[in-house]
Amino acid sequence: MRVLVLIPAFNEAESLPAVIAELRGTLPTVDILVVDDGSTDATPAVLAPLGVRWVRLSQRLGTGAAVRTGLRYANARGYDVVVRIDGDGQHPAHEIQRVLGPILDGSADAVLGSRYAKSAAATPPGLRRVSHRLLGALLSVLTGRAVTDPRSGLWVFGPHALRLLVEHHPSGYPEPELVLFLSRNHLRFTEVAVRMRERFAGRTSLTPQRTGAALVRLLLLLVVVPLRAAVGTK
Amino acid sequence: MEPVEIIALATSLLLLGFVIELVRRKKLTEEYSFVWIGCALALLGVTLERRALDRVALALGIYYPPAALLLVLIFFVFVASVSFSVVVSRQRQQIERLIEDAALLEARVRELGHS
Repeated sequence: MRVLVLIPAFNEAESLPAVIAELRGTLPTVDILVVDDGSTDATPAVLAPLGVRWVRLSQRLGTGAAVRTGLRYANARGYDVVVRIDGDGQHPAHEIQRVLGPILDGSADAVLGSRYAKSAAATPPGLRRVSHRLLGALLSVLTGRAVTDPRSGLWVFGPHALRLLVEHHPSGYPEPELVLFLSRNHLRFTEVAVRMRERFAGRTSLTPQRTGAALVRLLLLLVVVPLRAAVGTK
Repeated sequence: MEPVEIIALATSLLLLGFVIELVRRKKLTEEYSFVWIGCALALLGVTLERRALDRVALALGIYYPPAALLLVLIFFVFVASVSFSVVVSRQRQQIERLIEDAALLEARVRELGHS
């Protein structure tokens, strides 16, 4: 299977060189694609010297659209599997092989790397962890599957998920909606426990205002997504 | 005809003429003009046939007929606002898609240049 590692990045010029170097050291054979989501720092300048594949969005569209762009790139070039990781260094490269497991053995269409699943060390501080757990519990009830880390940015999409998400990957902060979408469309998704760490440099783009807006949007989506027509089944 | 009726009639005709002029100049596409033409015609209708407004008000249990007129207008403005939100949402999706397409094409051209 041809595997592409997809890194959506907004203002990650400080972290990206270390993230790419770690990936190359751990997974030397996989291709790497960075989707620059209209960064305003030196991200565009650091991409070419890194020798990775890259796509630059002229405007900031948000993580969801950046991931969708990367999936479209992967689909057009015949990749079978896409591994999505953050550009800030939170996701250690050596964890990728484990998250790839259920895709490679054919037991899942999409895999979510979870900080809170059994055996993973929970890293975020108190309030964020509680909100993630509450949201996870809600999504678990709605989807009937265990969801412990609905804001994780570490995902692997297999061929079937890739084909559907090329057109339908959610926009904005996409992860919780993605869980609902996968469930609504009867895709097999599972969680794998991973250890994450603090970002290498820079700051998160999640301001309190953005988090609030994303939460309000999510409350609506929790009702609406299960009511939408399925876009495709196996 | 009372002065208020003349003013209402002139206003609704002006609104109708204004919308049609915008369509004629292609400043407003036909698709988005219908909701405003509907507003203007509704206003014209209740101006010309005030008894209809009285009957509607009575049927709705509104004892002050001009309040019914306000209700009708609020309804049309609400419909217009929702229809414009739909248009804005669709255009946002189209713009996102265009930016994605442009970025993917730019990457394709760059990669072809390197190969």
